[in-house]
Amino acid sequence: MKKLVATVLAMAMALSLAACGGGQKPSESTPPAAGSNPPASQSTSSTPTDAATEITAWIYPVGGWGDEAKVKPLIDQFTADTGIKVNLEWLAYADGDDKVNTAITAKKAPDLIMEGPERLVANWGAKGYMVDLSDMLDDTDKSEINAAALAACTSTDGKVYQYPMFITAHCMGINLDAFKAAGADQYLNLDTHTWTTEGFIKAVEALYAKKNDTVAAIYCKGQGGDQGTRALINNMYGGTFTNAEHTQYTWDDPNNIKALEQLKSMPGIAFDASLEGGDELKLMYQEILDMAFCWNIAQQLDPASAHGDPGKTMNGQEIICMNFPSPDGTPVLQGGIWGLGIFDNGDQAKIDAAKEFVKYMCDSENAAEAAKISNFFSARSAAEGADLSNIFADNAIMTDYNKVILPNLGDYYQITTGWAGARTEWWNMLQKVGKGEDIAASVAEHVANANAAAAG
Amino acid sequence: MAKQPTMSRALQRRENIAGYLFMLPCLLFFIGFVVIPMIICILTSLTDTNMHDPGLIGGGFIGLDNFVRLWGDKDFLAALKNTFVIVIVSVPTVCAFSLWVSSAIYRMKGPVLSAFRCIFYLPVVTGSVAVTVVWAWMYNNYYGIFNYILGSKGLGLIDGRINWLGDEKYALGCIILILFTTSVGQPIVLYVSALGNVDTTLIEAAQVDGATEMQVFWKVKWPQMMPTTLYILVITTINSFQCFALIQLLTKGGAGTDTVMYRIYWTAFKLTEQAGHFGYANAMGVVLAIFIGLLSAVQFKLAKEK
Repeated sequence: MKKLVATVLAMAMALSLAACGGGQKPSESTPPAAGSNPPASQSTSSTPTDAATEITAWIYPVGGWGDEAKVKPLIDQFTADTGIKVNLEWLAYADGDDKVNTAITAKKAPDLIMEGPERLVANWGAKGYMVDLSDMLDDTDKSEINAAALAACTSTDGKVYQYPMFITAHCMGINLDAFKAAGADQYLNLDTHTWTTEGFIKAVEALYAKKNDTVAAIYCKGQGGDQGTRALINNMYGGTFTNAEHTQYTWDDPNNIKALEQLKSMPGIAFDASLEGGDELKLMYQEILDMAFCWNIAQQLDPASAHGDPGKTMNGQEIICMNFPSPDGTPVLQGGIWGLGIFDNGDQAKIDAAKEFVKYMCDSENAAEAAKISNFFSARSAAEGADLSNIFADNAIMTDYNKVILPNLGDYYQITTGWAGARTEWWNMLQKVGKGEDIAASVAEHVANANAAAAG
Repeated sequence: MAKQPTMSRALQRRENIAGYLFMLPCLLFFIGFVVIPMIICILTSLTDTNMHDPGLIGGGFIGLDNFVRLWGDKDFLAALKNTFVIVIVSVPTVCAFSLWVSSAIYRMKGPVLSAFRCIFYLPVVTGSVAVTVVWAWMYNNYYGIFNYILGSKGLGLIDGRINWLGDEKYALGCIILILFTTSVGQPIVLYVSALGNVDTTLIEAAQVDGATEMQVFWKVKWPQMMPTTLYILVITTINSFQCFALIQLLTKGGAGTDTVMYRIYWTAFKLTEQAGHFGYANAMGVVLAIFIGLLSAVQFKLAKEK
């Protein structure tokens, strides 16, 4: 009897082990170096088809690309034109990275992914999971694509892990009617949509005097929308977040500490650990806050994604985009660069099909439509003869944004090593500052943590 | 007559085989999804594994380095402290409150008793996301109902607003309150059932001997409910130690609400760029399991002595 039970248990364990360990076999054949031809052993194990007719694309909700109704017609057109079926799946920023990382571990990564260089280049690309797309870029392409965007999509060893599609500059949104009611509009330059740090401080004071309540929030519940708090603090006195080489975090810059001390001393500014960027812009849409630091053109067109009127709060008050305040009114804005990357899953046919998708969306006459869907600006001036420099000519809000916000686009430092850890350190630091801990000490501690983690 | 023992053994064997076969599906799942992952977790905690390392246990063996590092990790120790605060506050209050409510309602008539059971069990069966969304709205710093009631437009007890989920003074308490409401349902149902099953002859005998209500409760009913109490204590302790969803949905570990479970998740799945993060997160998991095991053992021991 004991032998029988032992046999059954042994079989059960063996089966369980087989079930759990089944995914290990492919890992023996390491994915080829990005961009290189797959080794022979891999070709035999992955049994590639001559022409892939189905690929999977995972999309982070980047602007209008988060809206299936907008995206699907273009995808259907691609399928009709090429015969390649695309299975689209949308990720959420809250847990999208978890899903992708888990999929990579399970060897189930999608063929295509849409996001920015901090993930596609600095993270998954650097670890060798992405295909080098540099063979898709000839000299004409390189001359047409925004140079800063292409640089951000290129790794330090010259491999292009993201084909840039569209770009924007993150900015602030303010409730102009509230500013006018408080007499704070005198501090705004409405021609250039700029203001000085001194003007910003006075404006907050005026608004606070008028409503005796919070004017704006330094949200720090998590990393969501942290580009806004970083940009505000960096711009106020000209501080930096990383060095120019993107090798070290430098937000212990005295100018940033000065900005934090200034913000902490302002009664109209709340360091709020119960809010993230998404919560903050909803509060502005609801007219509870008078400014939002987590703003961009997609928000201006559709505030808080509430499908209300463009540039209006829920009760119709006017929202305008503003550059972040700086000592002399010359801001340096945080960029957003999004595009497509291809995961190297070892199946050349799928990679080729995915490249066809990238070419269709980024480097053909369809690139204009692909960029327009996003509500951001195309990352290139032209594609295969089609002019992409002015695709929103019929939209006054976009035209205005293109004129007064986008030119202030600054360094894309999000590709610095250890980015995920640095973001965690940033919002934890803001919470400590909000709690009243010593600002210089908190900043020093968290910058040190970020740099230590980045150093591995 | 001589053959009978052989027949019995054959019959016994057939029954045993049938029994083991019935167990087999569960056993497979138990081994595949509990035992083996547990072993992998323990082994991984002794390595510097990263999430994407190939192989079942990817990184190199580093002995107890992860555990040594844990005791110097301020963030982990803060999370451990918060976790213990949650357990120490929530377990006794859940048990005491459940016992009190059950004692008050278990003699009620069928429909009334069912209504009470439904009311207290509703938060348990309602999805944690839905429950959390409602609580998040009530706690909201800017338009939440608590600030409205306590503020100048309500009772006037506070000046301005309280940032319930953003202020360290209140955030952990707010989490514990939600955990409390979602935890009392099952203990109440179990206690009502246990109280209903108490041997009435013993109660009547005690009353005849002149025992007071309190004496009847503590000397007669309470000992008979001890197995139920033990189960409730262990389950509530484990649930409290593993508090995750509320933290993830409400505070993301900020405002002094970080717990070990949340830190494990954050280290394993968010800090993927940090070397050895998977092994380190597994070490946290092992430490948490040890604490849960120890506390459960103590509870079993105390209950047995009683």
